[in-house]
Formats: sequence, C-alpha cells, structure tokens
Amino acid sequence: MSLNSKTSSRPAISSNFAIAFSVLVAARLWLSLTDLSNVLKHDQQLSSPLTSFSQLQEGIYLFNHGIDPYSGGSFRHSPLLLSFFATVFPLSRKLASLLWTLTDAAGAWFLVQTWRVRQNVKESQRDALVAALYLLNPYILLPSLALSTSSFANALMLATIMFACRGKSTATLFSLSFLLHLSLSYIVMLLPLLLLLISDPFSHLASPRPTSAYLRKLTPLVGEFALYTVTLTLISTLVAGSWEWIPQTWGATLTLPDLTPNTGMWWYFFTEMFDHFRPFFLMVFNVHLLIYVVPVCIKFQHDPLYATFVLLGILGTFKAYTTLSDPGLFLSMIAIFPETYPYLRHPLVTVLLHLHASLLMPLFHHLWLTQGTGNANFFYASTLVFACANGAALVDSIWAGLRIAIGENVNGYTIVQE
Amino acid sequence: MLAGKRVLWPLTLLNLCLTILGSYTERFDEKLTIKSLQDGKVASIFTFTTLLEGATPRNPRALGSDDESQHYNVFPLALGQILREYGVSELHLTLNAGNWNYDRWGYPEEKGVGTGAELWAWMGDGAVTTIDQRWKGLRNAMAGLFCASLGTLDELRTTSPSETFTPEGSLPTWDVPHRIRHASLPSENVCTENLTPFLKLLPCKSLSGIASLLNPHRLFDADWHGMGVHVLWRQDKGVEVRLTFQTVSDPLRYSLNKMQDWSLQTLFDRTICQACPVAQTSQVLVDLPKGTPYSIKPEPSSTERNIAIFQTKTFNMPLNIGISWPWAYQYPLQYKADLIPLSVKRTLRGTSQAWGRLSITITNHLSATVEAVYLETMPWLLQFYLHTLEARVDGVVKDGIISNISYIPPVSHSRPTTFHAVLTLPPKETVQITMDVTKAFLRYTEHPPDAQRGWDLPPAIITPLRLLNNNDSSTLPLDGRIYTSALLVDLATPDFSMPYNVIIFTCSLIAFIFGSIFNLLTRKFVVVRLDVDKSL
Repeated sequence: MSLNSKTSSRPAISSNFAIAFSVLVAARLWLSLTDLSNVLKHDQQLSSPLTSFSQLQEGIYLFNHGIDPYSGGSFRHSPLLLSFFATVFPLSRKLASLLWTLTDAAGAWFLVQTWRVRQNVKESQRDALVAALYLLNPYILLPSLALSTSSFANALMLATIMFACRGKSTATLFSLSFLLHLSLSYIVMLLPLLLLLISDPFSHLASPRPTSAYLRKLTPLVGEFALYTVTLTLISTLVAGSWEWIPQTWGATLTLPDLTPNTGMWWYFFTEMFDHFRPFFLMVFNVHLLIYVVPVCIKFQHDPLYATFVLLGILGTFKAYTTLSDPGLFLSMIAIFPETYPYLRHPLVTVLLHLHASLLMPLFHHLWLTQGTGNANFFYASTLVFACANGAALVDSIWAGLRIAIGENVNGYTIVQE
Repeated sequence: MLAGKRVLWPLTLLNLCLTILGSYTERFDEKLTIKSLQDGKVASIFTFTTLLEGATPRNPRALGSDDESQHYNVFPLALGQILREYGVSELHLTLNAGNWNYDRWGYPEEKGVGTGAELWAWMGDGAVTTIDQRWKGLRNAMAGLFCASLGTLDELRTTSPSETFTPEGSLPTWDVPHRIRHASLPSENVCTENLTPFLKLLPCKSLSGIASLLNPHRLFDADWHGMGVHVLWRQDKGVEVRLTFQTVSDPLRYSLNKMQDWSLQTLFDRTICQACPVAQTSQVLVDLPKGTPYSIKPEPSSTERNIAIFQTKTFNMPLNIGISWPWAYQYPLQYKADLIPLSVKRTLRGTSQAWGRLSITITNHLSATVEAVYLETMPWLLQFYLHTLEARVDGVVKDGIISNISYIPPVSHSRPTTFHAVLTLPPKETVQITMDVTKAFLRYTEHPPDAQRGWDLPPAIITPLRLLNNNDSSTLPLDGRIYTSALLVDLATPDFSMPYNVIIFTCSLIAFIFGSIFNLLTRKFVVVRLDVDKSL
C-alpha cells in the first residue's frame, strides 16, 4: 500500500514542479513585458557600468556603425557579448525581455538540478520551492527586469555549478572561462569548482574529513581551463579588432575607472581617496578577494559545493562593481542547503538587516541624485548596512556549515571555539 | 617744440632705413564699424590689422634649429615670437563674455562668438616635437601673453574638428599635412587684465588713433563683449594679424528719455583726440539707419551703399561721431526673425544627477532645405548615448535629418567627445534633436573648488553649408559658424568633509567581516563538559 502511494505521488511531484515552474516563468514573462524595464534600466543599484543594458545597446550601435566601442571609455562589456548581440540576436526591447526571462528560468532550472544532484534524487518535493526562491527573489528579479547582464552571469554560474556537480569537466571549464570573460572576479571560483569536479556534490557537512580526492587530477583540469580562456581571449580580440578591450573590461575590475555609485563598498571609498593612495588601495582591495579562496577551500574540503557557495557570498559582498544580483545569487543558493537551517545563529537579524538596507537604498539614492535633498552620505550609509547584511549572512552560513558537524546541543555539554 | 622738429628728420630717416633693412614691409590699418541693431543696441567692431608683407609662417621642419632674426616695427613682437617658436600657420583666439543673440543681432562680423575662451590653431606636422607638445607650449605662451587661464585647455578640452574650423587664410604648401587643435573654456572670465596686453600688441597702444576709444569701464559694461586675435597667412600678401574687439552696448540704458542716440562720447566715454601716425588707413564706418529720419554729425567723408565712411585723419581732433534721432525709441512688436537662416537653441534636460537629455532645437527660416554641419565637442563628463539620437519635426520622429555621423568617443578623465553630423533641415520647419546623456561621477580631487556650481559645457557649433532645392532667389548669407549658448551641468558631489571617515567606515566593516570569517576558518569547535557542582 505504501508502495502504491509512493508510485502515485511521484508523477504528482513532477507535475507539481512542472506546473509551479511554468506559472513562475509565465508571471516573470508578463512582468518583463510591461514598461517597467524602461524605468529600471537607469537604476544604478540594479545595473553597474559593467552590466548596464544602455551601455550594451550603445556598444552594439557603435559596432554596427564601424566605430570601435573600446576606443573610448564607457563600453565595458565583453566582446563575446558584443558579437552575440550584434550578429546572432538583434536586441529589440521585447526580444531582450524574453531573453532575460528565459535566462532566469534557465538559472532556476540549473539550481533545481543542482539541488537534485546533491540530494541524489530524481525529483523531490522541495523543487518548486527552490525554483521559487530563485525566480521570486527581488534581488534577482529586479536586475533581470532592468535588463542587467548580471542575469547572464548568474545563470552561467549556476550552469557551471550544475555541470561540476554532475562531473562534466569540459562543460564546467568552458562555461567558467566564458564566465571569466563576463567578469574577471569569477577567477575566485576556479579552485572550489575544480575540487567539486574531482569529488562529489553530496552533503558531507555533517561528517567532515580530509578530502579523499586525488589532487594530481587538478593539473590537467587547470591546463584545460587555461586553454579555453586563451581561446576565448583570442576570439574576443578578433571580434574587437585590437587588444584594447582588455583594459576596458578586465582592467575596469582592477583599476575602477568608473565611479558610478552601486551597492558595493568600493565606489565611495575610491571617490574620496586622494590620488596618492589610489594604487595601493586598489591592490589591497583586489588581493583581499583572493585571500579567501584557499582557506575556505581547505576548511570545506569535505563539501566543495558548500565552499563554492561561501565564495559566492564573498564575491557578492566584496566584488568591485556589485549590484543587487550578486548577493542575490548567494541568498537564493541557501535554498539547497536546508541541513544548515537549524544551526543558523541569527537569521532574523540578517533578514531584518537586508530589509532595512533594501528599503533605504533606493530611497536614499533617489534623495541624493534625483531630488537633491539628500547627501551622498545617506546612500553610502545604506550601502554600508547592506554590506553588513551580506556579511551577517555570510558569517552565519559559515558558522552553520561548520557547526553542523558537531551535532545537536546536549545537556551538560557546551560547544566553544578555540 | 623746436627741439622736437629738429629730431623729427633724423628720426624719419632712421625709420626709413630700418624699414628698408628689415626683411618685410609692414602695414597697419585700423577700422571701427558701428551698427544700430533692431532692439536699440549698438554693435561696435574694432579691427586692427597688421600685415607683414611677403612673410610666410615658419616651416615646422626648421623648428629644431635657431630661427633667423625677425625685425618688426609695427608687427607685435611678443605674438610674432610665439608664432615662430611653435611654427603656427594659423591661430585664432577669442575671449568673449555674454551670449550672442543671433535672432536679434544677426551674424557677428567676427565669427568666433562662443562664450569664454576659444583657441584654435592650424600647425604643420613634421617637426622634432609633436603637434600636441607644440599645442601645449602655444597654450601656455598665449596664457602668459593674455593673462588668461588658457593653460587649462589641456587634453580634457582639446579636439580636432577639421571640417568645421576650416582655415580662414591659406595654409602653406609644404609636403607635410596640417593639423588643427581646438579647445574652448566657457567658464573663462574676461576683464581688464586681458585687455591690457591686447592693447600692448597695437603699435599706438591706446594712446592715439581708434584704439584710444577702448575704455575698459565702458567696454566691460556692455551687454556682450569679446576680443579676438586672428593670425593668418594670405598667400599673395603675407602674414596678417588681426586684433578685433566687438561690443554690443545699450545706449537706451544711459539715456534719460529713451532716445536711441549714440555718439563716441556716450558709447566709450572717450573721443578720438589724436590720429595714430603709423596707421595707413584709419576709418570709422557707420551703418546708416534705414526708414527713419536721423542726423549724423560730423558729415562723413564719403557714403557708399548706406554706410558712412569717416577717414579720421582728415577730421579736426577731437573727433566725436554720433547719430541722433528725433523721436524716442519704440521697441518693435515683433523682431525680424530672418537675419540669419537658422535659429538654434540647446538645452540640457532632466532632473537627475545621473543622466539627462541633450536637446537642440533648430528653426529653418528659409524656404529651401538647408544642409548644415552640427559639431559637439563635449568634455568626458557628459557621455552620449548615440543609439538614442532622435530627430523630431512637430513631435513626430523623422528619419533622414541626421546623416554622416562621425564620432570620436570620449576617454574617461582624458579626451573629450567629438560628435559631428550633417543635418538636412526642411524649409520653414523646427527640428528637435534629442540624445540621452549620462553624467559622470568624479573623484574627490577632480572637483573644482566651487563644486556645487557645476561645469560649463562648450557651445555646439552649427555651420550652414549649402541650400538644396533653392527656389527662392533671395540670398541670405550662409557663411559662418553659429554658436549655441554654453550649458551648465551639475554633477553629483561626494561629501567633501568625509575622506577620513569613509576610509575608516569601509575599512572597519571589511575588517569586521574578515575577522569573523578568519575566526571561523582558523578555530575549531571543541565540546566541553560542564561540571555541575554537586555541592550547590
């Protein structure tokens, strides 16, 4: 009898997920076809100079009219995106909205697949919830409505993680090198994804042990990644016609030429900096991103998927040109680690900090730039609170991921750190 | 007096000898043109022309070696030295204040009426130093000569718009190409300290001749004033230096009973007391009013085609020329709108400090299609979105008006935008061209001391080229550039009192998060048994 109920519930689960997914995608599609994009595409919290749709349209226009978009200073998208949209996919407003919605739908699907692989099931009851947590997350929804190319980066990141979980090394490395061309900061994800490739994606958080993976296998993978990156670089150079795209795109992450406000911590810091100290602090901020890679991978060597997740959180907080979608990816990915929920120490505080920041940031941005009654400090303070919120989520996730190994609290014993 | 007469003959002989020994013959002419404009104002244009006959600009290939000595009597030595030092073939510098109202005043006699300082020069390539290095030296030398901050016309403001700024004279045919460098600074203020070195370049200074009318109190009180230095080479004549001063003064402001009368005394508070002995010709040209009775004093030497010509040397000194009307001035109910073929107005729209919209409205007064060149040289602060460029006639978007776009994109913190398009303007229609722009966010050290004032943007320049399908036989002058007004853009400013605080806050937050993560990653969990004290 129980067997009967199991077989009858399985098509119910899959049809439930299919229905829920289609409803979500349809709702997103409807939203994206309203006029909201024209208003949102100017918003500086939803798209940075590296991901702005207007800049993309401008670059394609210049490219089609024979002017090199990289000879000036404001086009910072990768030549791969430029060639894709200039040749394969003409960018009209309606088609763009459709493409962005499909990208988000793909990202949600990749996340659900990752969840399924981690749980080692074909489908589960939580699939619809995972997809909803990605598609309805306002941090993912709003930048996608604003047609920011960070939606592509997010979907591609989730695809890379899914391929790595399934053990498909070629697909993982190729999509990671494509992702590297979209934004240079994703080099940080190379090590955890390689570790994920050579071990398994299942949850080992509760039973940490030194990794049993054979580290020698890493070298050919790194070589393959380097090959793909070099190939894509050469293709980009062919498309762009010269090497000038490198300082414009990758160089932007390293030298921060454009000080347009966004939700990150870099822009105001480098606005207020005297020129004498600029190179030193640029170096500090860039190296700061790199120092987290090896320690996090070592500490979470038993569960590289969790290391990937943690590093995504670090990227979302400390990256050069962040928008809402970078921490949004981190927050949506919490959905696939339900085993850590009981061990989170201050989820309510994190949620309240995020609520506080996400309500005040657009308000202060409007007060500063449109209405003129507020100062730059108002918006800066709200980005500080946002960074606090991201930091709180990050620290709590790391704590929960480590604490889960100890188990539940038992009377007469206490858990301390030493 | 007797002693003076004794010295006179040797001095003249010496002058003659020097003139023969010196390489070139020099000729100095001065002219003052006065017109009454339709809104009661008076435009005066002083033109002082020095011609160095037979001379040519210095070949840039010879710039590495020492120059041959130049002997000038009348030609300004300071300016001549600068021109030869940098091998300049043609130079134009204008320092203007105010907005030239093309609709009411028509075309100015000297075309360069953009607000602030504008410097452009054609130089031949092929020297030891690059053109940009020579341009930098030229700017700084002119800044020193005219006490104007022309040294700030650096790479942030320099462009090369060769189609709009075609050479006024001829360019020597060496086998090296000539290049143009143009820069403009709309926020430059013009005052007496710029006029004084200008007057020093004249042979008679401001002591005699028409230049004695240049009274800074009255000139800088005018509704519009601008001085210009123009150096060009006329192929069959020689190197010409033309120093100009244009003003638009308002006699109605000073008159008690709304009389439009003006005279040299009321305009400049001075009269011509002494003729300049070096000037070959010294003329005052007065546009005679049409259609109303008037009286002009004294009687002109000659009149041709409604212009009264006064040869000042033939008159008794002091010379005070003036026109008076019998009746008070009536402001016209409607101004004649066809003094120039196109009326142009440029505005920057939008309330946000992050982005805006540049809008330029052009009205074509002719009944023939006008083809015009539209040039924008915008500093990198305002970046164009060319894909949003739209032309509307009566609110309806129309294709075919903008063509032949040539665009040099800006480089942040460096090169300005050069946007150049050919406009085909339909007859008797108003065309509105709009383009979205983004406003830059500057670094702390890049903001000027008065950051909340904003940045001045140089004027756009429309040059009517030709008429297409001209059925109307009337010929309106199509020559000359039309300058729009300068714009003011206010950019978002950071809080200038906060550099230390920002660094502290951000670094503290990063250190806090880093410290927490470091803690978690480097410490391990230990289970500790709590000893319950049995005695309690």
